[in-house]
Amino acid sequence: MTEADRASDRIERTIEVQGIATHLFEAGPPTAPPLLYLHGTHLGNLWLDYHRLLAQRFHLFAPDIPGFGLSERPDWMNDMSDYVLYFRELMTALGLERAALVGHSLGGWMAAEIAVWYPGRVSRLVLSNAAGLRVKGVPMADIFALSPQRLLETCFENLMTAAPLIPREINTDYFVRLYAERTTLAALAWNPHYDPKLARRLQGLSCPTLIVWGARDRLIPPAYGQEWQRLIPGAQLVMLEGTGHMPMFEQAQQWAAHISSFLVEPQQQQEVKPS
Amino acid sequence: MSRPRLTFHYFHLMPWPDLPPDFDEKYDSAWVTLPNSIYDPEKGHALYNRYFDELERADKLGWDSVCVNEHHQNAYGTMPSPNIMAAVLTQRVKRARIGIIGNALPLHDDPLRVAEEIAMLDVISGGRIISGFVRGTGMEYFSYNINPTLSRERMNEAHDLIIQAWTRPGPFSFEGEHYNYRYVNIWPRPLQKPHPPIWMPGTASLETIDFAAAHRYPYMTVFMPMEQRKRAYELYRRLAEEKYGYEAQPEQLAFCVPIAIAESDDLAMKEGERYMMWLFQKAMKVPTEFFMPPGYMSLRSIRAAIENRASFGFGNTTFRELVEQGVVIAGSPATVIEKLSYYTEVLHAGMLVTGGCTDGMPDYLVLKHQEMMAKEVMPYFRQQELPPASRPVEVHSEQP
Repeated sequence: MTEADRASDRIERTIEVQGIATHLFEAGPPTAPPLLYLHGTHLGNLWLDYHRLLAQRFHLFAPDIPGFGLSERPDWMNDMSDYVLYFRELMTALGLERAALVGHSLGGWMAAEIAVWYPGRVSRLVLSNAAGLRVKGVPMADIFALSPQRLLETCFENLMTAAPLIPREINTDYFVRLYAERTTLAALAWNPHYDPKLARRLQGLSCPTLIVWGARDRLIPPAYGQEWQRLIPGAQLVMLEGTGHMPMFEQAQQWAAHISSFLVEPQQQQEVKPS
Repeated sequence: MSRPRLTFHYFHLMPWPDLPPDFDEKYDSAWVTLPNSIYDPEKGHALYNRYFDELERADKLGWDSVCVNEHHQNAYGTMPSPNIMAAVLTQRVKRARIGIIGNALPLHDDPLRVAEEIAMLDVISGGRIISGFVRGTGMEYFSYNINPTLSRERMNEAHDLIIQAWTRPGPFSFEGEHYNYRYVNIWPRPLQKPHPPIWMPGTASLETIDFAAAHRYPYMTVFMPMEQRKRAYELYRRLAEEKYGYEAQPEQLAFCVPIAIAESDDLAMKEGERYMMWLFQKAMKVPTEFFMPPGYMSLRSIRAAIENRASFGFGNTTFRELVEQGVVIAGSPATVIEKLSYYTEVLHAGMLVTGGCTDGMPDYLVLKHQEMMAKEVMPYFRQQELPPASRPVEVHSEQP
């Protein structure tokens, strides 16, 4: 595929939401069911195979979360509730009265919060290697204590697949941008690094939910995937062998296939029986 | 031509020098994660008291103040509560001022406690307290799990609260973003009027320099190369003059610099190399991620820090290089006077903060250092009286 072909497979634009110039990619058939994808830390402003795969069957919206990629974070935006309200307005601005939400890592945490607060806006929920919970006795890695190199080593099983994340030039601008993104994450997740109220609130969710996890995740161990499944009524869990925190990089096909087939399953098979 | 003028402040970190022989290979940090099984309380008992003896002696030898500070969960400095150390010093140190440089304000959820403790100490000591305010190192935001993105805001607000608690008649309410009190009404109030002098030590943040200059607080450069100190002082001076409309005085520019002093330059180099390198190569061994947690520095400051290659540790820098860069001073009394004169004459900095045994230096050498400084260096700089101390002005961070 040439660069021109790659560029033609999606629309890249910026929309204003709550005064924030939000950069996003949009792709897929406009008549297909809408899917809002929320990325993880340091994974904004990317257009990769896993996006293309999701866009084959869905009308995909992939915004840069404020504070990541090309979307700036204003100073007032410094906790999860600010992000939840922001995403509600983003969905409205995109004409998404109701959409499937797929979130990875930090984006998974945000997707879960949106589902808790605005259940009517979320048709189905997919959480991949999501942050947001605490499993006592199974600590998440301290992402803030990891150097950029160690962070990559912790997230990836196959470092070759991390190539899209390696900058062309490692210079002061790169480090400042990285520091700014880490600052956004710290504002949200330094202490506590999870939402203490979320576990209880998830039990009231009624939207069909899929949990996808890399079985070797060393950043957010698989026990967290099991905890999400335990807490969300009727949630399904898929453990992908041979991959860790970044299944969409390392096993894009399988990851996207699980998500796509879950999202198109007939609704009646997903009837949720409260436990 | 006027003689150079300088005050002398004896500063102790109270480090834990007894690191295991395999420290270099086995541990990547002397902070946050260094196992506390390495600390031996029995030895610690003797060490604390030895350090207190040292500070008591500095008082008797004529130092202007003795100073302590706050650090957490590390081998570099074992004073998690500097106010406890200052309380001990009020009973041991009879003449000199007692500097707490400083309390790490953003690390504490209740800054009113700091206001109360400093007021207590000031009353107990008969008005001899110097109250430094710092943000704490980046490492401490890991150790205390305080959000570093709020560090600057908490610092400024805690500062305002403490100054008001000391100076405004209570009870009054304080309505901040991070701290909110219905009743601010501290007992006791400090003895010094309007309040104990404030110092602000700093490493690399441009905002700290601005804050200090705005309030006319002495800004203290810590372990850093001369080039970095110069930039800091130039910025302070320029801000004082252009932004705040006054001329910075020597007693507003302090410098913390370790000094190895001996009978000859050669001997000072040897003793310095033997006993100071521990501080730079082991006690300051810290991964960058601990030193600069996200949000601890503004993007403007982090950019400047990266461009200036700022770091907490000094890696493989040799002792000679540290001397050449001006991070430390080593030499005979004549050499030390010459180097200090550079600060007083060229940089117009008027407060030296130094001293403190680090790597298990034998006590006779510590005594020699203290005495040579007191008897052969201080007199040179004390031939002319200091001008009256500049009065702090109350500028609060919310105000334009």
